[in-house]
Amino acid sequence: MPGADAHDPLLEVRGVAVRFGGVTALRDLSFDVRPGEICGLIGPNGAGKTTLFNCITRIYEPAEGSIRFAGRDLLAVPAHRIAGLGIARTFQNLALFGSMTVLDNVLTGAAAQPGTGIVPGLLAWPGATRRTAALRARAWELVEQLELLDVALLPAAGLPFGTRKRVELARALMAEPSLLLLDEPAGGLTHAEVDELGGLLVALRDRFGFAALLVEHHMGLVMGISDRVVAMDFGRRIAAGSPDEVRRDPAVVAAYLGRAA
Amino acid sequence: MTAVADRPTTTPAPRGRPVAPGRVLVRGSAAHRGLQVAGLLLVVALLVWASTWPLFRMGQLTNVFVLAIAIAGLNLVTGYTGLLSIGHSAFFGLGAYTTGVLVVQYGFDAMLTVPVAIGFCFVAGLLVGLPSLRIHGLYLALVTLAVGVAFPELVRRFDDLTGGAAGLVIRARLLTPPEWTGISRAQRGIWLFWVSAIALVLVLLLVRNLTRSRAGLAMRAVRDHELAAAAQGVHVARVKILTFGLSAAITGLAGALFAMYVGALAPDGSFTLLKSIELVTGLVLGGAATLLGPVVGAVAVVFLPYLTSLVAPGPVSGIAFGVLLIALVFLMPEGVVGRAQIALRRVVTVVDADHPALARTARDPGGPPEPDGQQPGPPPSTDEDQPR
Repeated sequence: MPGADAHDPLLEVRGVAVRFGGVTALRDLSFDVRPGEICGLIGPNGAGKTTLFNCITRIYEPAEGSIRFAGRDLLAVPAHRIAGLGIARTFQNLALFGSMTVLDNVLTGAAAQPGTGIVPGLLAWPGATRRTAALRARAWELVEQLELLDVALLPAAGLPFGTRKRVELARALMAEPSLLLLDEPAGGLTHAEVDELGGLLVALRDRFGFAALLVEHHMGLVMGISDRVVAMDFGRRIAAGSPDEVRRDPAVVAAYLGRAA
Repeated sequence: MTAVADRPTTTPAPRGRPVAPGRVLVRGSAAHRGLQVAGLLLVVALLVWASTWPLFRMGQLTNVFVLAIAIAGLNLVTGYTGLLSIGHSAFFGLGAYTTGVLVVQYGFDAMLTVPVAIGFCFVAGLLVGLPSLRIHGLYLALVTLAVGVAFPELVRRFDDLTGGAAGLVIRARLLTPPEWTGISRAQRGIWLFWVSAIALVLVLLLVRNLTRSRAGLAMRAVRDHELAAAAQGVHVARVKILTFGLSAAITGLAGALFAMYVGALAPDGSFTLLKSIELVTGLVLGGAATLLGPVVGAVAVVFLPYLTSLVAPGPVSGIAFGVLLIALVFLMPEGVVGRAQIALRRVVTVVDADHPALARTARDPGGPPEPDGQQPGPPPSTDEDQPR
């Protein structure tokens, strides 16, 4: 990034509003994610966290506002080019390619890289196969790092939930993202698995240097690993700051526990 | 399986355990290459043997080859990409009529019409694929159904070109094999037998390449989870439309060969919805999204009705055929080839040479697995098996 320093935000969300018919899912939402930081995004159910993810990945079109990524207007980019810019995501309820092997799932994470042409594929052009071999080597490395070697050649559909979560994480990392969107990664995991996940996410961030936007209900995880936390309620930002600041914020307490009568 | 999930995820620990149960065959190794060569030789030997059969039998086989090509085309779009098409009879017919009309009306050499038919069907496939961007599942099937229904009507409508309902006859004189083959006009069945066989082998090679490439990965990703595929950067629209075009082109190739095989085309003959259903039946029976499923499916579709008519003569044979179909789909929902692959995997697993466990044993033969915490080096990628 020419001219960018570590303090320039990687992701800038400015005044974003999303409406579905009469329902306003997001209103005037603004916040930043800086390079390399883990930014927690919390809020009660229906606060609009997943809606925001779907705006960043260009599934929903905001009615107002702007989203910029590394200085580029994200709302002018079609959905299939988002991954190529360096934004990868995991899904709330897992979205793996069930019939494909774990390795192929991970390899598909590099779908934005060149070399997916149909003609080179049909003719098995040496250039395309060389590139595939290099990507496969990377996919194998990620498979090993995320402890998936034993299941690498099995279809993803039959695997235990926790394992599939790691497959999704490996697939996202395959895109070499500078921003990783994690939609409730702890959902459905046991207590011990959540602790492991936290350690894993921090270790991966330190290793690969991505920034992460972490939507999560599990407060222990969010407060434990986030550098900064943004709290939302009814589609608006109600607090932002360090985990401690947000935890003590009266608006956040009220949103979670209800207001004193 | 739960043991895997319970293992700590923070410390990467490479393992030296076997890659899979049963015997392991490394892709690209001497043993694997040997088996491939043996398989190819067997196919060639079978074809040479079949070419000594009476012309009638060879004709039946030619029909099987042509149908297998058509189903292989359908397999790309329906098997691998998950877009159900019941309109492929239209592409089959378009290919056949392109060849028929060009030969009869414009005096083209029959073989030269084949690339034209492929090109026409590719473009037609792109157009029919357009709705797949917005319409999903059974609704898309309905759109393709409409295309399949419309095709015979179009043939009747443009009767000055196609001969309409009366049909289009390609005289045997126009289908004479090239001189260098030394095959007489009366023996042209032998020529077509070899042309279809070689075309089928070529199509299967191309399909094999494609499905093993990253383009093939993108196709299956679109089938399994469209939204997730897009999030990985798969250009879903491009994948769907190009696959439709390619699929139609291959089925059109089958149509062109079919025109030469039968020599007489009629709109109600082989280009109605029944043909589409035959193709889908063959695909499901043989095994969708498998390389050889279309071949097995074509054999089944051609010979099963014949077999049931031997067992149960008269109108009962149709019922027997139906019962057999239902039984097969119940017993083997993955199709014959899909089921065979599952059975085979219990005995032997084919593994790519870049598997880390193999790379480790290659560097340290017979030794213990490496200690924890060491990053595995990049596996040797020179042995990547890709057919040329």
